[in-house]
Amino acid sequence: MARLAIALEINRERHDVLVEPDRTLLDVLRSDLGLTGTKTNCLDAECGVCTVLIDGQAVNACLYLAMAAQGRAITTIEGLAPAGEGLAAGEGPAPALHPLQQAFIDHGAVQCGYCIPGMILSAKAYLDEQPRPTEAQVREALAGNLCRCTGYQKIVDAVLDAADRMAAGRSAA
Amino acid sequence: MSETGRVVGRSLPRLDAPGKVTGRAVYAADFALPGMLHGRVFRSSQPHARLLRLDTTRAAAIPGVRAIVSATDVPDVRYGAAVKDEPVFAPDVVRYIGQPVAAVAAVTLQAADAAVAAIEAVYEPLPPVLDVASALAPGAPLVHEAWRSYTAIPILQRDGNVCNRARIVVGDVERGWAEADHVFEHRFTTAMVHQGYTEPRAAVAAWDSSGQVTVWSNTQLPFDVQATLADILAIAPSRIRVIVPGIGGGFGGKLRIGVEHFAALLARKSGRPVKVMTTSEEELTAAYPRQGTVIELKTGVTRDGRLTARQGRIYFDTGAFAGSGPGVASVATMVLAGPYRVANLHLEGYAVYTNKTNCGSYRAPSGPQSNFAVESQMDIIADALGIDPLELRLRNIVHEGDEGPTGQVLNAVGLEECLRRAADAIGWADRRPRPGRGKGLAIGWWTTTGGSSGVYVKINPDGTVALNTGAVEIGTAALTGAAQVLAEALGVDLADITVVSADTFSTPFDFGAQGSRTAFAVGNACRAAAAELSRKLLAQAAAQLGCPEQELALRDKHVVGRGGRVSLADLARQSQQAGGGMIAHGTFIAPGTAYDTKRVEGHVYPAFHSPSFHAHAVDLSVDEETGEVTIHRYVVAQDVGFALNPTYIEGQIEGGVAQGLGQTLSEEIVYRDGRVLNANLTDYKMPTTLDVPRIESILVEHPGRVGPFGAKGVGEPPNVEPPAAVANAIAAAAGLRITSLPITAEKIVRAAQTGGR
Repeated sequence: MARLAIALEINRERHDVLVEPDRTLLDVLRSDLGLTGTKTNCLDAECGVCTVLIDGQAVNACLYLAMAAQGRAITTIEGLAPAGEGLAAGEGPAPALHPLQQAFIDHGAVQCGYCIPGMILSAKAYLDEQPRPTEAQVREALAGNLCRCTGYQKIVDAVLDAADRMAAGRSAA
Repeated sequence: MSETGRVVGRSLPRLDAPGKVTGRAVYAADFALPGMLHGRVFRSSQPHARLLRLDTTRAAAIPGVRAIVSATDVPDVRYGAAVKDEPVFAPDVVRYIGQPVAAVAAVTLQAADAAVAAIEAVYEPLPPVLDVASALAPGAPLVHEAWRSYTAIPILQRDGNVCNRARIVVGDVERGWAEADHVFEHRFTTAMVHQGYTEPRAAVAAWDSSGQVTVWSNTQLPFDVQATLADILAIAPSRIRVIVPGIGGGFGGKLRIGVEHFAALLARKSGRPVKVMTTSEEELTAAYPRQGTVIELKTGVTRDGRLTARQGRIYFDTGAFAGSGPGVASVATMVLAGPYRVANLHLEGYAVYTNKTNCGSYRAPSGPQSNFAVESQMDIIADALGIDPLELRLRNIVHEGDEGPTGQVLNAVGLEECLRRAADAIGWADRRPRPGRGKGLAIGWWTTTGGSSGVYVKINPDGTVALNTGAVEIGTAALTGAAQVLAEALGVDLADITVVSADTFSTPFDFGAQGSRTAFAVGNACRAAAAELSRKLLAQAAAQLGCPEQELALRDKHVVGRGGRVSLADLARQSQQAGGGMIAHGTFIAPGTAYDTKRVEGHVYPAFHSPSFHAHAVDLSVDEETGEVTIHRYVVAQDVGFALNPTYIEGQIEGGVAQGLGQTLSEEIVYRDGRVLNANLTDYKMPTTLDVPRIESILVEHPGRVGPFGAKGVGEPPNVEPPAAVANAIAAAAGLRITSLPITAEKIVRAAQTGGR
């Protein structure tokens, strides 16, 4: 299959890649760009581990064609921390964390951690839409992200706490 | 809570959390090497058939294909934990749909898939055995004609399609029936379910020019995979290096070799690194799920509710190869006894071959199935006798100093406290608040698996500490717990400790991430290493401080005495200059638990080491029109011995219950004619955020004698009781006694329509 040159804006940075038209964004992120923070599992949009943000919306990268992401702002877990604190792979000082990431740590919401990047990005997309959600709303928003370790409770608590922290951050600003 | 230390007993954040929330943590599924090929497996389409011909000519001609391997490429070895019955590739007979027949490596996954599709196999069907009943029927076809020729653990009781019959016999059940006023007999069934880890099984293998192979894998047991690979590849274990970069859940499903051998064989043949990773379909058709079971349980009881005898038989549909079945069937008999005083027992666990996928271990193997039967029947008995289910349990539970079913003496028994606290918390006095709403209880016990652990601990020249362990951090934060034990013993902070783990080349042996043992065993190995380091540090400091060692202590990152203090950093630097570094090797093996060998037969797990005890209580509503179950509250009181890190123990309880609720209400690998009908995550229904209620944890602490600070294993137990607790609550709410898992809406509606059963 002929490969096409496309430009993707990922985590505020432009990446030029050559891709076949049927390549998924997930595959390009992981195989071509080494952004393995976006996880792979069912490849059928059932488990949510591959969740990324496209123009702020949470999508399953496993069923999203890389071509279709041209001209859109893609955010992966590697780019969630504040601008200027980008996380190069490998060595480096402890990165700055987004309030969601810090809340997940503080609430013990991380076990094996494989679902966590997708979970955090789904939560980010939802909190941008609804900054002060109820527990029921958070559960609804995360229903597409399977976690087999935690029973979800500490994840839901972390998201609710992060919402408070983000609100406090806004009012302080 | 009992005495809390400076580091242990505190809810400190896990050491690996930052990497996991930023996407920096690398899992086996993420691992890649330059020039790496992608492997796929060609699998049997027949449940039982003779493989007449295998033609890979067309597949080999597909552009990008670099290697194809099948039975002719591997030594004629069979492997298996208890019975060596499984070949790498089916040589002549296939025994389940999904059994590996060949494997392909190609430059792209697409080319590998195309090659698999181009492989041709010709089969001659043989009569399949599709369930336990037909496997045990007289004259049933044998899944393994040559079962007698297989190497097996000598004590196993094997016979045809039975790859083990484990037995516990105590007293005389006939006498027990005679003493009983009532005898209850019930049959229960449970479905095959998958562990549901979110990371597929994955491995990358690469050979170097010296003939050593390195395998990066998400196995729970790197040293077991190393040993199995040595058999399969016919090379020495020292030539095989297994590294676990990170693991996205396992729950027992990643214990035994999964795809590592395919990667290694394809890499050897192609001369290139090869990655093999499973698909969801492969996971649900050809992995190591929990066995479906049939359970027959007969219990005698006096009219005042005293258990006089129990006879139980549990049949595990263990699939085409023994897998974990023989051991699981053994553990089941311990669970069938219940945490109860019963003088007369006759308990049997059968692991039965069928033409289905090879079943394995899943968090508390045999626990949920056996406990479902035992605790459902306890409620049936209570209702029949007009005794409150809580009261019936209180009259029969084990206490400090009692004997377990095989004669082990029980100590640190926190069961009564768990039971009373769970019942209080759920508001047991109001068990049936209104029609359609009810509460259920279930109690149980579980083991803390021993097995040896070694650690190397080094004080770095900056005073921080390196913990080098062969154990796997599977996600429970067990290695953070072990590091807390180490930090406490050395007088440093948790944040001072760095963990290096799971590399068969460079880390000491560890029995692996299984059996709720990691924090328990590695924590104890850390204590041993810390004791050795303490001796060295104190001896070195004594000379400098001019005071005897016995007047010195480790505190706040220093060796402290009356005359002054020396930092660990200084002592480590001095040791680097003059003594080769400040390092110790700590080891642990759980002491044997004495039991009465005359009571058991075919039994590979005849005592529960440092057992834990637990009670679950649930409050739910049942809609008899729709069959919907709504859980209002779920309470777990678990005797954890000592809570090394309360937050992550709650995490184990919450996650274990969530998995248990999936098994109870929705999950089932559905077979028809030997074929899985729901091999995808749309139709295999695992609980989501909308399905799991808030779970309230009560951590009960009756310190054990062996674990660090009295800690007992905590990972598996919360998975044991959910099926029975929920079934009992449904019975209380709606008068419907469902004896088959999963308790789907359909079963509830049908039971409601037919008047209770």
